[in-house]
Amino acid sequence: MASDPVSPPRTRHSVEELEDLAFELREKLLLLCGTYEGAVHIGGDLSAADIFTVLFEYGLHVDPTDLRNPARDRFVLSKGHAAVCMYIAMAIRGFFSYDEIVATYGQLDSAYGMHPCKVQLPGVEASTGSLGHGLPLAVGMALSARGRRESHRVVTLLGDGETGEGSVWEAAMAARSNKLGNLVAFVDRNRQLMTSFAEERVVFEPYPDKWRAFGWNVIHVDGHDMAELVAAVDALPDPDSDLPTVVICETVKGKGVDFMERSLAWHAGSLSPADLDRALAALAATRQRESV
Amino acid sequence: MPVTFTFGEMLSARSVIGSTLAELGEDDPSLWVLTPDIGATLVEFRERFPERFVDVGLAEQACVGIAAGLAYDGNIPVVSGMLPFLSMRALEQIRTDVCYPNLPVKIIGTHGGLVGNGGSTHYAVEDLALMSALTNMTVTSIGDPLMVGEIIRQSMTMPGPIYIRLAVGKKDMVLYEPGQHDIRIGKGIVAREGTDVTLFTHGTTVAQALEAADVLAEDGRSVRVVDMFTLKPIDVELIVRSAEETGGRFVVLEDHLAYGGLASRIADVVADRGVRLAFFERLGIPQVYAGFGEDEQLRDKHGYGLAATTAALRRAVAA
Repeated sequence: MASDPVSPPRTRHSVEELEDLAFELREKLLLLCGTYEGAVHIGGDLSAADIFTVLFEYGLHVDPTDLRNPARDRFVLSKGHAAVCMYIAMAIRGFFSYDEIVATYGQLDSAYGMHPCKVQLPGVEASTGSLGHGLPLAVGMALSARGRRESHRVVTLLGDGETGEGSVWEAAMAARSNKLGNLVAFVDRNRQLMTSFAEERVVFEPYPDKWRAFGWNVIHVDGHDMAELVAAVDALPDPDSDLPTVVICETVKGKGVDFMERSLAWHAGSLSPADLDRALAALAATRQRESV
Repeated sequence: MPVTFTFGEMLSARSVIGSTLAELGEDDPSLWVLTPDIGATLVEFRERFPERFVDVGLAEQACVGIAAGLAYDGNIPVVSGMLPFLSMRALEQIRTDVCYPNLPVKIIGTHGGLVGNGGSTHYAVEDLALMSALTNMTVTSIGDPLMVGEIIRQSMTMPGPIYIRLAVGKKDMVLYEPGQHDIRIGKGIVAREGTDVTLFTHGTTVAQALEAADVLAEDGRSVRVVDMFTLKPIDVELIVRSAEETGGRFVVLEDHLAYGGLASRIADVVADRGVRLAFFERLGIPQVYAGFGEDEQLRDKHGYGLAATTAALRRAVAA
């Protein structure tokens, strides 16, 4: 990929820089939650924040000034309820204006809604939101790349909960059958559904083995360890290879805000001014701990 | 060859699909064909363009989702399969992945109506109601096997999705001479001119409608038969004109639920446009799971066979 002259550049941030960018993403997310009166899927946004950061700031060959470059990597947000986190991650990367997102999110006629809409916001690759749809879409895009002899990647981000949908496994079979080494699925394995913890009512384990059994190349990382996420991206097989890859990212729902972490109450919600202060202070404290 | 099903007699319409797609695939490198394990008539395309042929096996949801992904990237995917499964199991993918972003995915399949004797698991009888409800979807139902090729060709330049419904009836008879009618998506075909009553129909029952018109002709009655092969967008002008020209007498015949298909779409036009009718009757599948039997037997049993059609036409002209 790196040698492809028409491929958009990939930014080469250091792990420390990426950690800073992930902090910025969480902070901007909380600030938006503080101004928006409706509910935001904050738990699954925070669990995916490091993954979004490593994708848009490190992993994906994308260029905010060249949205339609055919050689760009494609990104499909299968867990569409994390749209606002993606919008902000893309804004930090230069695709959108954060101020515009904050000013219009969820408002009448806004391009920035609860779930991404390609018609309203052409800068995203696909309309998603209903769970279990992103992987089939990504398989189609990966097949298209194969048909055109293009060697970009198609990357999708799923929640672990949505992998309960049968369509995910239909697509997983199709990806293996069609030898789509250009397809990468990140799974935000935050081990929570909306109303229960994983393994409590729905048994997902042995989770990596399920993907292995479908013939996928499995990479298993701590989804909040930026060095591991970077290593996972660096370890992705060549797009021209045969096996699709899943990067299973072990995460914590609500990560970075102690009172939201592993809490069913914060699947989605809004922040009062007092909550916002508390959340920002909690987030700042994680950074102080890291810098000690 | 293994066991030969009676299906064999229906190969003509399907072979038109196969040969048309193979021909179009030659000219258009963005044409893909996908199927959930219903690929028998797609062999020519598969052999000529293996890199653009995807058989996902028994996986309708993924099949339609993958087609949408291909379309997002600028391709024209044709999904070919059995309509009871495509229209219901993959309904959300058709609605959310295809229609919502208005992608040019073409869905074409068989088993529309009480055809094929597979029982109610294998009859698509609600499909036109479901598809017509979807914003951006064009909905067609084709009876004449040769028309299938023309409709597929026209659909290639449409920016959005289309649903193309076929039967698998044993009477896949050629209805029109090539060039006899100006066939355009969105425009009904006046298959027979008439002045006493208009019989609207689509798909597999067009042949039966023409037969019924022959019977009424023996009575000295003139039946206009309209092949309303596009259910959406519906040909409003032809409906309004037919009311004026055939004494405000309408009979609607279809191999679909009597409520939710063509009859309902025509009734909508009648109500919305204030069309004055003297007679309106719908013949179609009642709210039952229809059971087994040959196509014609099932149509007779459920009240929309040839005898029921001629009876309705006689009631109409007496009104």
